[in-house]
Amino acid sequence: MKKMINIIWRHLLLIFLVIIWLFPIVWLVVTSFSSYKGVNTFNFFPEEWSIDNYVQLFTRPDTAANFPAWFKNSMIVGVCCCIISTTFVVMVAYAMSCMRFKSRKGIMSFAIIAGMFPGVLSMIAVYFVMKQFGLIDSLFGLVIVYSASSGLGYLICKGFFDTIPASLREAAKIEGASQLTTFVKVVLPLSRPILVYTVINSFLSPWMDFVMARLMIRSKDANDWTVAIGLYNLLDRNLINDYFSVFCAGGVIVAIPISILFVIMQKFYVEGVTGGAVKG
Amino acid sequence: MKKKVLSLILVAAMGVSMLVGCGGTGTEDSQSESESKNSEAGSEDKDGEFVVKQDAIDNLIASSEGKTVHLDVWCSETTAYQEVMGEVIEAFKAQYPDVSFEIVIGAQSEAGCKDRVLEDPEAAADVFVFADDQINDLVKAGALQEVVTTYTYDPAVTNDEATVEATKVNGKMYAYPLTASNGYFLYYDSRYVSAEDVKSWETLLAAAEKAGKKVGMNIGDGWYIYSFFAGADLELTMNADGSNSCNWNNETGLKVANKIKEIASNSAFISINNTDATARMKASGDLVAYVDGTWDATPISEAYGEGYSATKLPTYNLDGEDVQMGSYAGYKFVGVNSYSQEKGWAMLLAEYITNEENQSKIGVATTEMPANTEAAKAPELQNNVALKGLSEQYPFSDRQVVGGKYWDPAASLGAGLADGSITDIQQALNDAVLGITQPAN
Repeated sequence: MKKMINIIWRHLLLIFLVIIWLFPIVWLVVTSFSSYKGVNTFNFFPEEWSIDNYVQLFTRPDTAANFPAWFKNSMIVGVCCCIISTTFVVMVAYAMSCMRFKSRKGIMSFAIIAGMFPGVLSMIAVYFVMKQFGLIDSLFGLVIVYSASSGLGYLICKGFFDTIPASLREAAKIEGASQLTTFVKVVLPLSRPILVYTVINSFLSPWMDFVMARLMIRSKDANDWTVAIGLYNLLDRNLINDYFSVFCAGGVIVAIPISILFVIMQKFYVEGVTGGAVKG
Repeated sequence: MKKKVLSLILVAAMGVSMLVGCGGTGTEDSQSESESKNSEAGSEDKDGEFVVKQDAIDNLIASSEGKTVHLDVWCSETTAYQEVMGEVIEAFKAQYPDVSFEIVIGAQSEAGCKDRVLEDPEAAADVFVFADDQINDLVKAGALQEVVTTYTYDPAVTNDEATVEATKVNGKMYAYPLTASNGYFLYYDSRYVSAEDVKSWETLLAAAEKAGKKVGMNIGDGWYIYSFFAGADLELTMNADGSNSCNWNNETGLKVANKIKEIASNSAFISINNTDATARMKASGDLVAYVDGTWDATPISEAYGEGYSATKLPTYNLDGEDVQMGSYAGYKFVGVNSYSQEKGWAMLLAEYITNEENQSKIGVATTEMPANTEAAKAPELQNNVALKGLSEQYPFSDRQVVGGKYWDPAASLGAGLADGSITDIQQALNDAVLGITQPAN
């Protein structure tokens, strides 16, 4: 009986916390289905439901809200960064974890120290350098900025590679495998979970980033913006009364590619780490 | 060993190419900069020499032969603005068929224009629309091209005098006036309160109370709270160094503040910001009069329907005398970026956007009062309810010239009076004035 009460009590607490955490998300979702375009602070649920906001988002782009273009731009940046950063990170991690060379320790500690400075500090410098190269206002410039220092984030990945038994690599070497073969055929297949983590992470940060995008994209032409800049712009004083629900719909849509990516990657998460790799 | 040498060479090659790359662009840039400076000086001389302006335009056309003139234009992000600006630009292009233009219209709210331009003037638009209170900072930063001479008409003559005055800094004109409608006034629903009721706060609140409705104003905002103090002729001005002079804590000021508190404590009054107000009008319909500007004309007209009306701000009773509330009036200007590569064309375009024909076109499309005195007489504008309210309030309005330290203390004073949390009003006024008059930086 006492146990029962305990369980009920715990679950009530959990339900309470869930309500607090989900409240804003539910609000965002239901507001995105409102037929009233402005901010409605009087009712939690919209008075009239409609999917018009989503329809408008994709089929009726105008000078203020050109979601298809933003989505395309963000997608290009996100996918490019994802591929480049993931490649960088796993390669650096492999080198640091599995290869032995002079100054390996030195480079590692340098990378850690360099990584301690918040990237925001260098923003202005990055801007002027990119301006010199004529790379502001371009998606290419954004991709470079996002993926340039990604190699520094190798630490977690390296930690994972360290757990893969050295005997596997040695076995591969004896069979005549080069470093590349060992990396691609032996180490990577065993590191799926960390690969998933890296892919999601390196897609997520450029996909959602506002600060760098805002700095690098100077154009005021809505066709050049990414989703984050575009949505932010919809909250302007002049637009908020006509676009707030559309903004909410955009906020919901943004979560979709991430969710899809996650669902695809989920499969690999579940699979074992190195279990059964070494046959005795 | 071989590998090591190779990698060293590679690294060295990369380093050198990077350095060379940087150096190369650097020198090129400085070259082109000095070139453009030369050509600027040249064109300015030409402007001075040519008395007949058509020659100057022909000259401009001749100098742009065989190249594409690229111009960026920033104006408000609202659809109405973007569309009408698109039309104006097309007409501009059609006027000079021999020149190949590439004009891009960007969406940038006038209110935030200064910040975006000053982030990096070189990357900002060639021609931009901005709100008048930003002109001092823009000029100080050297981002605005002075209007020394014009090609097609004289903006100093065709536009409203007060507006032209506002484009000047130290006696020099720095922008082309576009609109004169950035102000607030009273919207009301004539189904519940009559034109007689809205003349004073006392009658307005009584009428609203009788009807079981509310009257709203955003008292917790320096921009609006100013109207009460300005009405009683109290002083708030900006000094040369960017700080403010303010005497709101004197005897009259105390009476005004007491009056504000009295109005705010009336059961028919609510202090509410414009986003909440328009939502409330739509949701519950109990807000039958509200102090706001032309930017909310559409949602308010929808909410009020047949009863949609607008007029000047009401009076309030001070020592048995009816005092007319003041207000802030703002203007929108078109400025030319002094870092523009195509200054001549940028100035011609700015001039074109703000000529009489286009001011009236833009005014009608965006429901804003043109600065041009002739364009303001267009029947579509004269019959517009919100603009009628605005022009009724216009004689009682002041240009918004105020240092940045004003806003926060004034807003907290207003908020305190609105929710009744201020008990010692004299003390609150002293604190507010102390905050408002503190040094600018």
